[in-house]
Amino acid sequence: MNFCKRAWLNVWAKKGRSILLILVSAAILMFVLAGLLIRSAAIKATNQAKADVGATVTLSANRQAAFKQMRKSSSSSSSTSSRPKLTLTPVKLSDATKIAKLSNVGSYNVTSTTSANAKSYDTVSTSTGMGGSNSGGPGGMKSGSSSSGDTQIDGVTATSLTSDFSDKQSKIVKGRGITASDKNTNHVVIEKELASQNNLSVGDTMTFKQTTGSKTTVKVKIVGIYKASSSSSSTAGPMSTDPSNTVYTSYTLANSIKGSKYAGTADSVTFNVTTPSKVSSVKKAGNQLISTSKYTLSTDDASYQTVKASMSSVESFANKIVWLVAIAGTIILALIVILMIRERRFEIGVLLSLGEARWKIVAQFFTEMIMVLVVALAIAGAGGKFVGNQLGSQLVSQTATTTQTTSTTSGQPGGGNQGGGQPGGQSGHTGGPGSSSNSTTKADTKLAITVSAVDLAELGGFGLAITFLSIMIASGGILRLEPRKVLIS
Amino acid sequence: MLKTKDLSYWYQDASQPLFKDVNLEFEVGQSYAILGHSGTGKTTFLSLIAGLDRPKDGEIFLGDRSLKKIGLTNYRRHDVAIVFQAYNLFTYMSPLDNLLTAMAITNAEHAGDKAYAGQILRDLGIGEDLITRNVQHLSGGQQQRVAIARTMACDAKLVVADEPTGNLDEDNTNAVIAQFQKIAHDQQKCVIIVTHEPDVAAQCDHQYRLENKQFTQLA
Repeated sequence: MNFCKRAWLNVWAKKGRSILLILVSAAILMFVLAGLLIRSAAIKATNQAKADVGATVTLSANRQAAFKQMRKSSSSSSSTSSRPKLTLTPVKLSDATKIAKLSNVGSYNVTSTTSANAKSYDTVSTSTGMGGSNSGGPGGMKSGSSSSGDTQIDGVTATSLTSDFSDKQSKIVKGRGITASDKNTNHVVIEKELASQNNLSVGDTMTFKQTTGSKTTVKVKIVGIYKASSSSSSTAGPMSTDPSNTVYTSYTLANSIKGSKYAGTADSVTFNVTTPSKVSSVKKAGNQLISTSKYTLSTDDASYQTVKASMSSVESFANKIVWLVAIAGTIILALIVILMIRERRFEIGVLLSLGEARWKIVAQFFTEMIMVLVVALAIAGAGGKFVGNQLGSQLVSQTATTTQTTSTTSGQPGGGNQGGGQPGGQSGHTGGPGSSSNSTTKADTKLAITVSAVDLAELGGFGLAITFLSIMIASGGILRLEPRKVLIS
Repeated sequence: MLKTKDLSYWYQDASQPLFKDVNLEFEVGQSYAILGHSGTGKTTFLSLIAGLDRPKDGEIFLGDRSLKKIGLTNYRRHDVAIVFQAYNLFTYMSPLDNLLTAMAITNAEHAGDKAYAGQILRDLGIGEDLITRNVQHLSGGQQQRVAIARTMACDAKLVVADEPTGNLDEDNTNAVIAQFQKIAHDQQKCVIIVTHEPDVAAQCDHQYRLENKQFTQLA
């Protein structure tokens, strides 16, 4: 191991040169590490985001088929006086249960929306400044002939499963939200504004009046108070009920307010797909369980696709960085090592004249470079995270901007639920409980850059490969010569 | 000990050799000087017998084994020690490390023995204060003595020196030649010195002149 001692003596004796080599190697390794970190973080973030963002499949009435049926009946009808009616079949919960049992389907949220009139309380009025105020009224499109009340009732399986709550646009400020255990109860969660206006609190009761049928009153118990974000509140249009008048209940209570014929049904059921990439297969399997002439299964994996596209772009860029830096690093380091070794031709000649094996001479240079590399690796390990963080966040913000611009200009208008024509007078307010939102995408595409032992080992491997290649290129020419030629030249 | 048989060497044109069909014998316990003008091929001849290059024609034998059979790397490692005009020391080492490195490479009997290496240096006038100092801080004469000490530290029976006094003043020249004589006579080694200085050659036991592509022994 005499070559190791020689390597050490050389590195130590030529401190200035060694420090310069360390700095150059550290700079190269730092960029390689940054690339490796961004790549591994992008892969990790993609997987995480895929899992977090999720995708949904929504079971609802088949509006297209219903329109078709309506046109068909109107053309066959001889009477011209009666207007054709759009008849949507409510989703059967038994069908939803079957779909929920499919693989890759996680939780599901039943949505049944209706409206009622306030009896024991006053609704919140919205002054539009455009010709008076309204305290409710019909929200958006309505189906059939059902009349609408001033209070919107969103029947759900659990409030936490609705996008308003999961996206933190609404949050419980007192009491609790609706959960699956509230099924078949008269528990409700009301908005903070509505509560304070009527001096209502958790534990109090309030009374609605049905808008259709026998118009009986329904007494409900407040179990929680939520606060809707200002942006969510401001989405109410001039003809819609004020968002503060939205009351969350279990879907069973919403159904009973709609009428007895709606028992065991829902406007829509949203299934969360645990593996977003399997959305299509879930939809395909689900379609075999339902009557597609009455119902439709629609998918929403826009967030997943956005994240996937964004992260794929970051990953591919990181790959390019790794290769570019590795190639550029190899060339730079090889040139430096070539110059360094050419300077040491004389020493090589002396070693050869002493009978030193050629491989041991290469091993000496390699050992010297490993000593340099170890220190450079430590520096790169410390600095790589910083560079990776800067580069990663820059990259993500650029990619996110590009993706958002693309989705704004060519994407579908997201957000609104399919509420327009739902049975039972579902109002069409923006972002209903069953809708999914793209707003989570940006938050999920953050890159968590951390330097792990595996990253450092990978970097060390890269460094060794670069060094070995450089030394072989540099010393190959010299070592092929006879010692005399080396010494003479 | 060392024998050349029909040794020839040329660069590009075989019809213009530097020397042709050289047959010489060198024995242990003797010192040899090879004289000649610049460009006559003295150093090339030395390179061939030192195993630094291969002859174009003919063979070199160490005892009864040809260098081809021994292998040049093995031959350089175990059988020959070389002193160059430019000293050829490892510039990033001390005199002591230079000796220890050479001893380790050549697998010398005393490899790793610092005391042994230090004693050789002291015997050659490299004082205690210089032994661990970087060789670049030594004078030319001192560096050449370190180079000679390196050949002494290795166990090679053949010592070849290419213009070892070329960069030295008269006093140092005499001291270095005396040292080579000591190596030849006391350590029973074969010393071959290439020089263009007749005074240096005159101090060796045998003198050869390379002229007109042939070696002539001087009386």
